Amino acid sequence: MQYFDPHIHMSSRTTDDYQNMAAAGIRAVIEPAFWMGQPRTNVGSFIDYFASLVGWERFRASQFGIAHYCTIGINSKEANNEGLAREALEILPNFALKEGVVAIGEIGYDEITPAEEYVYQRQLEFAVEHDMVVMVHSPHRDKKNGIIRSIDVAREAGVPMNKLVIDHNNEETVDDVLNSGAWAAFTIYPNTKMGSERMVEVVRKYGPERIIVDSSADWGVSDPLSVPKTANLMRERGIDEKAIELSCWGNALAAYAQSGQIDEEELAKPAVIDQRQSYNDNTVLRGQQPRVDEPVPN
Amino acid sequence: MVRELLTELMEERLSDNGRIFWNKAQSELQEGAEGQGFAKLLALASRYAKRQPLGLTETELAAAEGALPGWSPRAWNRLELLRVNLILARPDLPGDSFERDFEAQFRFADEGETCALYRSIPLLPQGERFVWRATEACRTNMQTVFEAIALDSPYPVTHFDDTAWNQLVIKALFLDCPLYRVSGLDQRLSPELTRMALDWAEERHSAGRAYHLGLWLCLGPHDEARVLRLLTDHWPSASETERAAMVLAAERAGQQAWLASVEPQDPEVLPYWQNAKEGRSDQTQFAPLFADDHSAQ
Ligand SMILES: [Zn+2]
Repeated sequence: MQYFDPHIHMSSRTTDDYQNMAAAGIRAVIEPAFWMGQPRTNVGSFIDYFASLVGWERFRASQFGIAHYCTIGINSKEANNEGLAREALEILPNFALKEGVVAIGEIGYDEITPAEEYVYQRQLEFAVEHDMVVMVHSPHRDKKNGIIRSIDVAREAGVPMNKLVIDHNNEETVDDVLNSGAWAAFTIYPNTKMGSERMVEVVRKYGPERIIVDSSADWGVSDPLSVPKTANLMRERGIDEKAIELSCWGNALAAYAQSGQIDEEELAKPAVIDQRQSYNDNTVLRGQQPRVDEPVPN
Repeated sequence: MVRELLTELMEERLSDNGRIFWNKAQSELQEGAEGQGFAKLLALASRYAKRQPLGLTETELAAAEGALPGWSPRAWNRLELLRVNLILARPDLPGDSFERDFEAQFRFADEGETCALYRSIPLLPQGERFVWRATEACRTNMQTVFEAIALDSPYPVTHFDDTAWNQLVIKALFLDCPLYRVSGLDQRLSPELTRMALDWAEERHSAGRAYHLGLWLCLGPHDEARVLRLLTDHWPSASETERAAMVLAAERAGQQAWLASVEPQDPEVLPYWQNAKEGRSDQTQFAPLFADDHSAQ
């Protein structure tokens, strides 16, 4: 079966990860724009980061037969650097409408400050104006309150609930999100917070409708194989195959394909390792192994 | 003339929605869309045209060659065709405002847009304004971007200095690009280029790795002793395809005595050998040997 990891920061991962992900059946990923583990000091840093998400990283993924999409947004942490955040908002339109950008994200709240709210609202307005999906990062502290507020503010801005994905849910927040009509994504963290075992129980209790599993793997301790591992655990624990397919592939696809930036027909086909990234119809390279034995020539 | 041809090729391939977008974009451009407004048009083009091959007919290919010798859109996709048309539809192409804005577009361009921007360069007036930008494409890690400037275009051979030109050709060799599509290669097979290719071959040999087929296009009539040694040493273990390329290479490198001595029996190699002996060894003769060159379709 093929898997979709709709939240993973591949820029922080190695080619070993790409190789293992492809081998585990991950066919497509979404890389949301986030912070770098330390604060940016100038807008050029945002520009080069966004450019790498729609450029080099996508190319890197294609060498392993993984389709790479991304979201563009100004994260909540850095929204608190008000001057910089405003400059970043100005260049947002230069990246947000590009090919393969499936949402505005990950945006929302961190400490729930007025500066965060300002940046969140401006980005929601942009999304509504350009008919885009929104991916919301929910805060680690005061999560439940942060999620309710994220949904309310998005609704006020005119975001249709079927175009809103709330991420990093847990058992305490899932009811509110599902009741609002938004998509509820769950990040599977190794060791702490939301583990695969708890995810299995969520799917058992709520069913698969509008439930999305992701890894959010980044530069911290995290597991880029969370999605296939969780799927396998669901299988072992007797969750039916249709529910697994929806929560680990179909729902993410349905949510983000609303962007018009995912070629679903192309994704349904087996992976093509195409170093020229030409996405054309030729079948010459189909089934060929990724060229991981050679360094990227330059 | 190229511009009219490109518009014609595009219009035949646009969807109805795409045509509406194109018409609207044209009026925005006439009204002076630039900067973020222009970037938006390039980005939104991805909603109206996909990365599908153009599927050009023989007539269309010939028309392209006729419009600008050494140039061909055969490897372009439909999205690139739309984007290049958007660029060429700007009313300020010869002006300073365009020059500045064109350069600024690269800062925000994604991979597909970058390729389209580079593909437009040989078609812009006063091409010499964009030489530095074009050499930037040769420093990329992405093969698509490199090929957008390096292949099917007369721009590098016309505008690059020796350093940039040699780097382009040797990078194309490294990346295993179809070198017969580097326009003007035959005119600029310098002693320096031949030496660099021979050095590359020695490195590959020491590492126990195969040669790329493009090697045999990089050898001019220079460094006779080394070229002869390479031909002689490699011939016994060469594949049929390599042998076909080697006999052409020998003729190009002035190794007529070696060429006469090999007398290949293989029916795959024989026609190339006969061509070479009769002096037909220009870069286009290599084309059929790059049969798995999917980027050309
Ligand atoms: Zn994240």
